[in-house]
Amino acid sequence: MDKLAQRLREDASRIDAQLSPQLEERLRASLENITQEQPMAAPVRPGRSFWWASSLTGVAATLLLIAVVNLSPQNPEPAVTEPPPPQQFVAQFDWRLQPAVLTQTLEQELVAIQSDLKKVRQVVRDDIGQVVVDVPAGQAAGTDTEPRQNP
Amino acid sequence: MSNESALIAAAKQGSVSAFTELVGVYREGLFRFLLTRAPSYADAEDVLQDTMINAYRYLHSYDARWRFSTWLYRIALNNISRVQGAPADDAVDVADLGDEEGGPLEQCILASEKENLWVTARRVLSHEVFTAMWLRYAEDMSVNDIAAVLERSISWTKVNLMRARKQLDDELNRVPRTSEAYG
Repeated sequence: MDKLAQRLREDASRIDAQLSPQLEERLRASLENITQEQPMAAPVRPGRSFWWASSLTGVAATLLLIAVVNLSPQNPEPAVTEPPPPQQFVAQFDWRLQPAVLTQTLEQELVAIQSDLKKVRQVVRDDIGQVVVDVPAGQAAGTDTEPRQNP
Repeated sequence: MSNESALIAAAKQGSVSAFTELVGVYREGLFRFLLTRAPSYADAEDVLQDTMINAYRYLHSYDARWRFSTWLYRIALNNISRVQGAPADDAVDVADLGDEEGGPLEQCILASEKENLWVTARRVLSHEVFTAMWLRYAEDMSVNDIAAVLERSISWTKVNLMRARKQLDDELNRVPRTSEAYG
């Protein structure tokens, strides 16, 4: 043994580690009051019979399912799919249309209608605050025009 | 069946006296080790008590492939690390060592002309390497058992034991202290 190891051993033995009687008593008392933990029981591995039982159960369940599917009626009555009458879903509008009553010549009537149309446009413009395409008088019959820029 | 195996078997059955006899062989050495590591004497006592209690309580988990002392030291090391509030592999903070002159180790060293080498070892080595040195030279443990206690590889243990020896050698061969130099 070399010198360093020898000295380490000697110096270790020079450390006084005598247990006091009080500590001895403490250790004894604490051990008396401790209950040992019991090892946990190892999980029981399923045996061969368990494997067979589970397999047979699976097979039986499969056969039962096949039987139920095959023994049910082959041609079940189709579900009623006749659509309801369309009137049920179409909204009925009340157009409040009135026939035109001509009291003047056609040209005057046209001017009056255009004037009314202009007023209505103005009302609509004021109501919704949107840009409404102003159709020139001569194209009131529905010809498409470029939208006029709002000033 | 050896005497130790018989005692272990009896202790596993709940015999406190068998357990007391079983650990009686290691108790003093273990307490000596704890005195070198614990912050105070009272802490060393507490850790010894905790170690005994844990060993008795969990004796069923002891694996007979290992030496009983290896297992006991492993428990003690876990407990002492908890007391120190740091992992066992933390290095010693040299700056704090000035306060340790009155520590349990110094208190328990019997009078001698030379400084105890374990005090020097504690000053220059990390906790973990110090423990490895203690187990090797104070407890005569094999490198394999030390590696098991520290939960380190065998090569790590060998390398660090060699380094620790060199560090201690260097420390011993340093310039003597002022008090000695000026006589």
